[in-house]
Amino acid sequence: MTPVAFALASILAIASGGQQIPPGSAPAAGIGAPKGPQLSGPELDKRTDDIGALLRCPVCQGLSVADSPATMARNMKAEVREKLAKGYDQEQILAYFERSYGEFVRLQPPMRGVNWLVWFGPVAALIAGGAVIAWAMRRSPHQPAAAGGRQDALAAPAASDLPSRDSVPTDPKLAAAVRRVRMLAYGWPQGVSPKAGS
Amino acid sequence: MTTAVTSRPEEARRSRVNPKVLAGGLAVALPLLAVLVANLGRDPRSVRSPLIGRPAPAFSLVPVGGGAPVSLEKLSGKPVVINFWATWCVPCFEEHAALTAAARGLPDVQFLGVVYEDEEARTQEFLRQRPSAYPSLIDPEGKAAIAYGVFGVPETFFIDGSGRIVDKYVGPMTRSTIAALVARAKEGAR
Repeated sequence: MTPVAFALASILAIASGGQQIPPGSAPAAGIGAPKGPQLSGPELDKRTDDIGALLRCPVCQGLSVADSPATMARNMKAEVREKLAKGYDQEQILAYFERSYGEFVRLQPPMRGVNWLVWFGPVAALIAGGAVIAWAMRRSPHQPAAAGGRQDALAAPAASDLPSRDSVPTDPKLAAAVRRVRMLAYGWPQGVSPKAGS
Repeated sequence: MTTAVTSRPEEARRSRVNPKVLAGGLAVALPLLAVLVANLGRDPRSVRSPLIGRPAPAFSLVPVGGGAPVSLEKLSGKPVVINFWATWCVPCFEEHAALTAAARGLPDVQFLGVVYEDEEARTQEFLRQRPSAYPSLIDPEGKAAIAYGVFGVPETFFIDGSGRIVDKYVGPMTRSTIAALVARAKEGAR
């Protein structure tokens, strides 16, 4: 479940609570009177699995109560089922387990206090990172030429800076070497471009 | 004519640190490092029980071998030690003797065992071979274990005379550990 869906489910759970209080059910320790409808049949099975998926199996490594085959998880699932049948809603059942095991038992941290960071920290970091990249990209092409040598070093040399194909160094020895290279590389006779004379 | 290769100030650029980037990086890395350092000594699997300081969850359980159910409310006024254990748990084995000796030496404290994920027949056999000084209770479907937030065995809860959980101890206890924690439970009753 995404955080948004979780938030919606929580709002729905709160909104649907407090309508029906089945008569004659004793309130469980610390979580008050049942706030939801008393479930049975396939609906009870489904909700048991739903809530089991939100509870951490205390004796497992990162498994939910719904997924774990451990006796502890089976017992917790039975407890969830019993509470749903009595009419307790999701939030009350999660609160029941939280009272004994702490917030640790919830696989999805409730949105309060420091937990906001867990839910929205990654999204905020992504937006901040994107903003930094956008800022850096907008900034770099407009960097003033006043930056001096740094810019010149990066810029491609202008076409006029490149030596002409036909020019040769003034030093006679170097000129001879360049011509020899041109002869070998381009197949120009004597290292002189065939077009040079025309 | 020109020579194409010139020396460029690349090396100078590389060695320069951008103070803004450095500050930004530190702002992200330092808090994370602080969290890491602060929690280095902690066992990631140990979770502090939220029940400490709260009223002990009520239960009414039948002792191993049958008999009248034992309920916590009827014991109020007296410090209570609740030890979750099982015959398949080796540390519980060692702890059993210490608990029995402590229970004999502290008649003003009620010791209770709660059997965790075990068969009654095996528990009965265990207690026949190593007699206990206090009752052990059968916890069907582990309801009491869940209510007390038990992660495994042995785990022991110390409850003061007003029914409030004063301490939780995870792992096998020695006689001196038991004595120290019982003393705190007695203090809490005052």
